[in-house]
Amino acid sequence: MELSRRWQLLRDVAAVLVTGIFMFPIFWWALTSIKPISAVFDKDRVVWFDFVPTLINYGVTLFGMSRSQLAIDDGLGMGVAGSSSYDSRQSILDSIIISVGSTAITMVVAVLAAYALSRMRFNGRDSFLNWVLGQRFMPPIAILVPMVTIYAGLGMRDNQNLVLGYVGIILIYALMNLPIALLLLKSFFDDVPQDVDQAAMIDGATRWQSFSKVVLPMVKGGVAAAAVLCFIFAWTEFLLSLFLTTQIRAIPVKIQTFVTSTGNEWGFITALGTAAIIPSFIFILLVQRHLVRGLTLGSLKE
Amino acid sequence: MASVTLRNIRKNYGAVEVIHGVNLDIPDGSFVVLLGPSGCGKSTLLRSIAGLETITSGDIEIGGRRVNDEHPKDRDIAMVFQNYALYAHMNVKDNMSFSLKLAKRPQSEIDEKTSWAAKILNLEPYMARFPRELSGGQRQRVAMGRAIVRNPSVFLFDEPLSNLDAKLRVQMRTEIKELHERLKTTTVYVTHDQIEAMTMADKIVILRDGIIEQEGTPLDVYDHPANLFVASFIGSPAMNLIKGTVSKGAVVAANGARLPLPPKDSRARDGQHVVYGIRPEDLELGKGFDIKLSVTEPTGPELHLYGDLGEEEVCAVLRSRAELKRGEMVGLAPRLDRVHLFDADTGKVL
Repeated sequence: MELSRRWQLLRDVAAVLVTGIFMFPIFWWALTSIKPISAVFDKDRVVWFDFVPTLINYGVTLFGMSRSQLAIDDGLGMGVAGSSSYDSRQSILDSIIISVGSTAITMVVAVLAAYALSRMRFNGRDSFLNWVLGQRFMPPIAILVPMVTIYAGLGMRDNQNLVLGYVGIILIYALMNLPIALLLLKSFFDDVPQDVDQAAMIDGATRWQSFSKVVLPMVKGGVAAAAVLCFIFAWTEFLLSLFLTTQIRAIPVKIQTFVTSTGNEWGFITALGTAAIIPSFIFILLVQRHLVRGLTLGSLKE
Repeated sequence: MASVTLRNIRKNYGAVEVIHGVNLDIPDGSFVVLLGPSGCGKSTLLRSIAGLETITSGDIEIGGRRVNDEHPKDRDIAMVFQNYALYAHMNVKDNMSFSLKLAKRPQSEIDEKTSWAAKILNLEPYMARFPRELSGGQRQRVAMGRAIVRNPSVFLFDEPLSNLDAKLRVQMRTEIKELHERLKTTTVYVTHDQIEAMTMADKIVILRDGIIEQEGTPLDVYDHPANLFVASFIGSPAMNLIKGTVSKGAVVAANGARLPLPPKDSRARDGQHVVYGIRPEDLELGKGFDIKLSVTEPTGPELHLYGDLGEEEVCAVLRSRAELKRGEMVGLAPRLDRVHLFDADTGKVL
């Protein structure tokens, strides 16, 4: 269809506008992170660009510099309440461990389970997915207190055993992600016709080979999409992490500690928040090459 | 190369039996077409030979060896699927060499066989392309290439041409036939297209509702249909089938028209209810019975006439051109040696 120039223009403007609406909070967040405190807290006006940029917030949160020292160097010399740690390097590491770990577990289990649900016949197959999904109908807050008690009983709280603490939080994220990943992946597997599996089997492949060499490569776009969703969920999850951990401090929990009795540390909050976008962004960049629909194109007659 | 033998094959889905005891001999090197309307069980039968469906009872032998319990990969067969089922993430060469790689053949043999297959199928320029970059006919050829590189004992084709456009279908039909002439591999080919069946087969097997209605050479089946189903299924336009009662050397149709039988015809006795079958091309203008003309369709080489004989529609295919008008009464004379008679109750040929 040939669009008139006016429509094209309108379409472009609309695209920019919509993108702008979504991008603005991130932009404002990033902008605030390089503002000095005086620009953040100017009660007379909104400061846009007329400030002297500073990296103090990043220095403190990402490089463990002393806040009071930096403040003095910057000549701001304001009273600094508590040296309670704003150094978030450990939190970033924790978040990476938890997110990558839970995403990996989810994907391994979900890919195998989705293949089985799509390809194998067994009793209860049709209702299985509903049962799994049913788990997500319950709000996580409902299971929090029991979970904390169970974890404590099993010695899986991070103040009892740090390694088991990581395992515990990774497991619960994997469980939360599993239904969605399963649902998504099953539909991708369903899109690959069974004839393809059967062609592979006639070509001499075992069940495992037809899965690993033929079907799985054909759904890698779906696997990538599911992995992105799982990663983002784990990366941004707050509630479970807050209750189940005390020493492990994932980024969302860490950021929340910047809201203190003596004031909200907007500079640190925005600096860590902006920095936290980057790993997700890198992860998505890595997999987006595969985030292409229509990977099965050409396998079949149209 | 190998023959295929089916003995009393039955297949149930739950309580429903879809194949009711099929016996079939497929000689070594022959091209056998399983033909029938959709749902007749022809694909199920083919997939049973492939080992993709388990049969409920009966025996399948390939090359004299009972293969009932063998995995598809151990049956020494290759199959071309209706929708090609190519491996979308592999290029043409990898698609064709997949089976050889799985069998851990040496690279030199893999290269040799794939280039041999590519040459036969004119795929040489496309070896590095992916299926999505190929046309329908090329994909079809890749699917065939994947089958022939393994040099299997039996080829199985499951409606391979059904979604191609008409011109390509005719072309691929010839190619498959040529491939068979060249390789002489036993082939079982499933289709619902009677033209494909007629043109390609050494032997046609006509199936309906899970039983074999008739088997034989294409012309045998065409000239001597065993029952009403085969008579109406094979041939286009279809054979005229007119209900009537035998009376004094003719069949009297419902409207009283007398349809002539050959002299001294002993197939049916007077008063018997029969179905009178005559192919459209076995009717010519002349003195026989009259139809009221409703449509004329000149196709160029032929003239198709459609008219009414009472409640029944009759079609005639004429080689000559004639000036005929709608509504006109036209006399048609059947070639008496080509008249088929079927029992009206059982549908069997008399």
